[in-house]
Amino acid sequence: MTDAGPRDQPIHDLGGRRGWGTVPYDPNEPAFHADWERRVFGLLGPALGSSATRPGEFRYAIERLAPEDYFDRGYYGRWIATFETVLEEYGVIEPGEVDRRLDAPGGTGPGSRNRSVVAGDPNQLPADRQTPTPIARTVRRELEDAPRFVEGDEVIAPARRADGGHTRLAGYVVGKRGTVAKIHPAEVLPDSAAHDHGERAQHVYCVRYAAAELWGPSAEEGVVVHIDLYESYLEPAT
Amino acid sequence: MSVYDHSTYHDPRSPKLRVEALEDILVEKGIVDRARIDATIQKYEHDIGPMIGARLVAQAWVDPTFRERFLSDADAVVSDQGIRGAEIEHLEVKANEPGVHNVVVCTLCSCYPWGVLGLPPNWYKSPEYRARIVREPRAVLSEMGLDLDPATEVRVWDSSSETRFMVLPERPAGTDDMDVDELAELVPRDAMIGVARAIQP
Repeated sequence: MTDAGPRDQPIHDLGGRRGWGTVPYDPNEPAFHADWERRVFGLLGPALGSSATRPGEFRYAIERLAPEDYFDRGYYGRWIATFETVLEEYGVIEPGEVDRRLDAPGGTGPGSRNRSVVAGDPNQLPADRQTPTPIARTVRRELEDAPRFVEGDEVIAPARRADGGHTRLAGYVVGKRGTVAKIHPAEVLPDSAAHDHGERAQHVYCVRYAAAELWGPSAEEGVVVHIDLYESYLEPAT
Repeated sequence: MSVYDHSTYHDPRSPKLRVEALEDILVEKGIVDRARIDATIQKYEHDIGPMIGARLVAQAWVDPTFRERFLSDADAVVSDQGIRGAEIEHLEVKANEPGVHNVVVCTLCSCYPWGVLGLPPNWYKSPEYRARIVREPRAVLSEMGLDLDPATEVRVWDSSSETRFMVLPERPAGTDDMDVDELAELVPRDAMIGVARAIQP
């Protein structure tokens, strides 16, 4: 493995991590490389439809995989491992049922080594609020109150929540000064929904960071990075 | 040949065996219908792919009014054209122009606008791309065969909310006589992610 980055940075939070080599680039890649990848993709709807249906829940389950299950078998390898773990967690299949079907030793499957769901601390989340129920299934929400920030405001995401739960706040922007470039449609907060603490919908901002702010003197010239951040992550930069 | 024949070695960690077993179990439980799985695969292998995005790009190249709308309200364009694939609840289009180059990533997972580009290629989902494109985009793009002028600003878009991004590449020179169908052929998937240029005919 490569440089682990800041010690509290979870495995999936890869932005800016050093040590990774050449991108395995093929300009003519097919959609699937093997038939098993097709089958995994096709299972997405039914596997999650009977288990992890809340916004952020599937991603959080991927993030809880052990490093070998996360990295060693590619994207669809992550998916099949995660289908198995969430279906076990929801009781749709028995723990170890796939191992038994394969006459494999107990503990072979990914559910034997992934991290458990943490409860998540509601006190570290923004308040919930009433929003009109959308007509179609969507994470977008209409908020009555105006966004706290406007385009051009300087903002900072001081820290991730300390409870170790799901978040879309990438580690590489924590503590860095950025500028609100645009306001996106408001959304359900995945940090809350993934842990079943309600929607707690938030305004969402596209925030622009100069590369030198993110990476210091080693940054490439003439580069800016934009990332989307939920309002509860942000404070005014002073 | 060795005594131990690897071609038949039964590795119970292999995703091939595990997906077969899981699919069988879910079919037996009545949760999964194999015909629906087949239909989903068919849809994303044949019907939903980068040709959808390429056509939008070609339309933007020939029609300034369309281009303006595509850049300011891509959701309306997607809705007007009846494009209904997944992962494009809110789409934003970033235009390359002289002095500006855009490139898209998802550092936290592999978010990607399926409805207009199809399923993401492996390299887009790789830890190498996710880790490096935000820190050293010029170096990564150069390794991938795209050398940018040092004076060109690189704008990286990290897809961390449910907004999805695609790039509107620059129209190649000498294509004034081409129609939308011909122009769409010049737009590879990777130009709409921002790691390649449109094809110079």
